[in-house]
Amino acid sequence: MTIWSHIVPRVDDDDRVFKALADPTRRHLLDRLFRRDGRTLTDLESELDMTRFGVMKHLRVLEEAGLVVTRRSGREKLHFLNPVPIRLIHDRWIDKYTERRASALADLKTTLEEESS
Amino acid sequence: MTTTTQAAQTTQVYQVFIKASPEAIWEAITTPEFTRRYFYEARIEATPERYRSVGPDGSDWGDDPTFEYDPPRRLVHGWRSLYDPELADEAMSRVTWEIEPQEGGYCLLTVTHDQLEGAPKTAESVSGRGWMMVLSGLKTLLETGEPLAG
Repeated sequence: MTIWSHIVPRVDDDDRVFKALADPTRRHLLDRLFRRDGRTLTDLESELDMTRFGVMKHLRVLEEAGLVVTRRSGREKLHFLNPVPIRLIHDRWIDKYTERRASALADLKTTLEEESS
Repeated sequence: MTTTTQAAQTTQVYQVFIKASPEAIWEAITTPEFTRRYFYEARIEATPERYRSVGPDGSDWGDDPTFEYDPPRRLVHGWRSLYDPELADEAMSRVTWEIEPQEGGYCLLTVTHDQLEGAPKTAESVSGRGWMMVLSGLKTLLETGEPLAG
């Protein structure tokens, strides 16, 4: 039976995701999990010039934003990257603006082609 | 130590909040009328015995055993990637869906894809955009009634 972390991120909290991403150490931690998922704290702190406590604090911010999910495997606590909140921010904030630009270009093309025909 | 590391690398975890009842989420992940609107157009039917997936062209995308069927909380089933000839011969892996009610009419949906030891290409294929598109599409469908464009 899986034992999930007791930290449950707050519902649909974009602020927390943006805040969690607005820090180079936390982005570095996400990048490391992207390269290889399911790491222990000891593993994650190995490349960082920071105290264990400091790394734990950053991981907690990532967990509260829903970007990192932890689960126990035997005596170890493993950290997994959850990319879904980033996808949702992409859908909400990036698609919206790039789509308008793309459709403006498509409209321009249609107009120009109609004029020339 | 070795087993932990292996388990870690052959496990993927995805979580998403969805503003819908556990029953609505359960229906959306177990009935073909719903899955075709967010799951790469696959028509998926989950029963207490089998988890069957049919592609939009009518071909077999998956037909694997259901290990746990506990509506509307928990579904565990086998996974083989029959939709891609390159992945189809790989060993079966396992997918677990957990639906936990939260405050404010939300549920936390956790999808764990594990036991991927014998399916490295499948692991690569479903990571990143794979499960992410399914889950963001499922959320959009349940919250707005519209499938995700594109």
